[in-house]
Amino acid sequence: MTTYIIRRLLYTIPIVFGVLLLTFVLFALVGGDISIEIAGKNATPETIKEIREEYGLNKPLFLSWDSQFINHFKSALTFDFGRARDREPVIDKIKRGAGPSLALMVPMFLGEVIISISIALIIAFVRGSKWDILAVVICVAGMSVPYLSFILFGQYFLAYKWGLFPVFFSPDLIIPQYVVLPVLIGIITGLGGNVRFYRTVMLDEMRSDYVRTAFAKGLGTGRVLFKHVLKNAMIPIITQVVLAIPFLFLGSLLLERFFGIPGLGYLMIEAIGSRDYFIINAMTYISAILFVIFNVITDICYAWVDPRVSFE
Amino acid sequence: MLNMKHRKTFLAIAAIAAVFTLAGCDGSSSGEEPNEMVLYSVMTSKIAGFDVSDIGDYPSARVVGQIFECLYQYHYLKRPYELIPQLAADMPEVSKDGLTYTIKIKKGVYFADDKCFPNGKGRELKAGDFIFAWKRIANIKYICKNWWIFDGKIVGLDEFREYTKSCKDQFSVDYSRAVEGLQTPDDYTIVIKLKKPWPQIVYLLAHQPTAPVAKEAVDYYGKDIISHPVGTGPYKLDIWHRGSYIKMSRNPNFRGEFYPSEGEPGDLEQGLLADAGKKMPFADKVVWMLIEEEQPLWLQFLRGKIDASGIPKDNYGQAISASRNLTDEMKKLNIHLKTFREPATYWIGFNMEDSILGKNKPLREAISYAIDRGKYIELFWNGRDEVAYGFIPPMMKDYNPEISKIGRGYNPQKASELVKEAEKIYGGKLPRLKLAMGGADTLQRQFGQFLQRNFKDVGLDLEVEYMDWPTFLGEVHTKSTQMFSLGWIADYPDVESFLQLFYTKNISPGTNNFNYSNPQFDKLYEQVAVMPDCPERTELYRKMELMILEDCPAAFINHPVGYVLHHDWLYNYKLHAFQYGLAKYYRTDMAKRAEYKKLLKKVK
Repeated sequence: MTTYIIRRLLYTIPIVFGVLLLTFVLFALVGGDISIEIAGKNATPETIKEIREEYGLNKPLFLSWDSQFINHFKSALTFDFGRARDREPVIDKIKRGAGPSLALMVPMFLGEVIISISIALIIAFVRGSKWDILAVVICVAGMSVPYLSFILFGQYFLAYKWGLFPVFFSPDLIIPQYVVLPVLIGIITGLGGNVRFYRTVMLDEMRSDYVRTAFAKGLGTGRVLFKHVLKNAMIPIITQVVLAIPFLFLGSLLLERFFGIPGLGYLMIEAIGSRDYFIINAMTYISAILFVIFNVITDICYAWVDPRVSFE
Repeated sequence: MLNMKHRKTFLAIAAIAAVFTLAGCDGSSSGEEPNEMVLYSVMTSKIAGFDVSDIGDYPSARVVGQIFECLYQYHYLKRPYELIPQLAADMPEVSKDGLTYTIKIKKGVYFADDKCFPNGKGRELKAGDFIFAWKRIANIKYICKNWWIFDGKIVGLDEFREYTKSCKDQFSVDYSRAVEGLQTPDDYTIVIKLKKPWPQIVYLLAHQPTAPVAKEAVDYYGKDIISHPVGTGPYKLDIWHRGSYIKMSRNPNFRGEFYPSEGEPGDLEQGLLADAGKKMPFADKVVWMLIEEEQPLWLQFLRGKIDASGIPKDNYGQAISASRNLTDEMKKLNIHLKTFREPATYWIGFNMEDSILGKNKPLREAISYAIDRGKYIELFWNGRDEVAYGFIPPMMKDYNPEISKIGRGYNPQKASELVKEAEKIYGGKLPRLKLAMGGADTLQRQFGQFLQRNFKDVGLDLEVEYMDWPTFLGEVHTKSTQMFSLGWIADYPDVESFLQLFYTKNISPGTNNFNYSNPQFDKLYEQVAVMPDCPERTELYRKMELMILEDCPAAFINHPVGYVLHHDWLYNYKLHAFQYGLAKYYRTDMAKRAEYKKLLKKVK
């Protein structure tokens, strides 16, 4: 197993390298020169030149030990992402945004997974009935409504009209106060797709011979569903769930923006908008590493839940 | 007695109820102390930081202006805008040749307490703090956005900038190095020597980046000064949660200023002089929330969480009636409307070095006549803005009231005729024209489609290229665009701020993005740039505007008009084009604010 983990971790090197190369090419080669924007509306060419020097934009792109690409690489490997365009250290921004993002995403994720799997199990059990059909119709309808509509509706009716929640973040609110509505909206919007997916997974299992045998032996519904069906359906569930975890770190752009949650999703999109290459680089790099690590964890989990899967 | 199963159900219900109850408490009290007056403001975009010398954007200037002060400020109530002393003891004493300005500064002005000072106690402001701040702007290693303010104007300052090129970094510059044009005969006197007359200097001395900076703060915080402002203004920074909110509180060291006793006609009737002569600031705290999306901004305002707000495009109908007054719904909520003309103009610029447009004046004129400005304003700005016939905004003193009769408006018939003339010059059917847009959002795309239709109506084919802002700026600065959609907001209430956009020496990558060059215009510009404010100068300004209209390097589209709503608990609220440090004038009635919740419930 150790060999397997080490081998998998070694695979991460070319992946991370690829990510770094891609971000560099996108921003250094394809995108425009940010120095003019940083310089402001009345800038002299001399000031623009100084900015290019300060940010190392005057250095060769490749083919030098002091090239922009090598420096880009060095900063990633040392986790010294430098200062953002507003001169705040990038790592400070990430640390500050991680808390609110996780406060929003973790309960949303857990709620979504638990509720989806529970509903999926129930409707898989009553498959073919009018309840099953109704659930599928609701799921498809839920998937068809744009995410933004749920946000606008929730914010207008639940928060403004009925006054059940705050409309927006406020420094005087504690985290549970301002994340409840976005979490609820996040869970509801995610239910349609997730329930459909888990229902399919459950149905595949429910049709198995061992389920019929278990019922024939007189086991109760709960025991069959939660002890046998759920356990055997874990492979696709693990794939779905564990691989979603790294994205929790990235937060939710729309929810954070509409509810003023100062998280990482918001930070990332702001950075893209203002071409803050330093933040984008850091966030992409950290996300890539997390993604690779959780990929390895997924593979290990496979072997734990299903003895048929071997590390060999 | 509850059994185990019931207990679990009860606990689950209780937990859910607790969450909803907690969530329902939306911070109405907002954490303010009893009897504490708090202003709730909004920022619709992030601020760049609190380093006053490097402020180059309006949102930052608006916030930072509460902490820093300049030598001069604009009178809060009087219009046209009038300069009055702020940190200066009086208006400057100007030598006969207009080359030497002597300015006395107020005594007894103190910086806010900060750990950068010995024992954390803010020291008295000295003339040297201004000189330090201006030399710092000149320091090339500091890479300041605002060098344009002093570039080529003060004796010896350009040489100082030259010297800084040889320094290792911004912090190794010797600021004690003498600059002939910046002298301090004593701690309370500044003497500025100019290379040539520069009458606009007084406006620039009211411009945020020229505020004094304590050297101790720069030395102590280094690059982190961006988040540690140390000023002399009425407020000091408590929290800057980047990308979320800013909290400020009263600066105990603030000397105190008095609310103006005079205004323009109508101010008295509007209650804007009720606090005349009272000591400012009124509010104990100021909170700025960053809300970039329109729906939450609007709902927060309606809920009374923000004192004043602009009107989002999609909520315009809810707030303003067809007669351009407040709707009944707004009146029931005791909301007030204020409008004001902004010192800005937006246009479609032509690259005069472009091989097709530059040599073809009828084509440029045709485009200018083809754009249905009225429709554009109606569709995109709810009819709020004013049509631009020239580039001087109507709120400026030197605006030509006759310009609407002279400038080009929407005339598709004339445009079609001019297209035919343009085709003769070109020698055949005109190729597809290209317009660069600095953004790819829905509004920009809709504007692009609108222009394409306008062009098509007069027989022109237009391709719109949407690009992100830095790419757009890069294209414009390298003269790579044929046409571009852009605008300008005056930095000070002098038309010179617009005229320099057409001066040959400012051709791209300078501010003359049109790459327009006219020796006669240049000659006049050099003449007016050193003239004091007088009727002759106004005549020349207007003449120069007509020269631009004649040569048509741009199709001027609109002058924005701001519509702002505010709650009735906010007093002394008057819109101002140069919004630096206005929070000190505002007063809120906290009891009225507390009552609003009930009123809203009734109206809803």
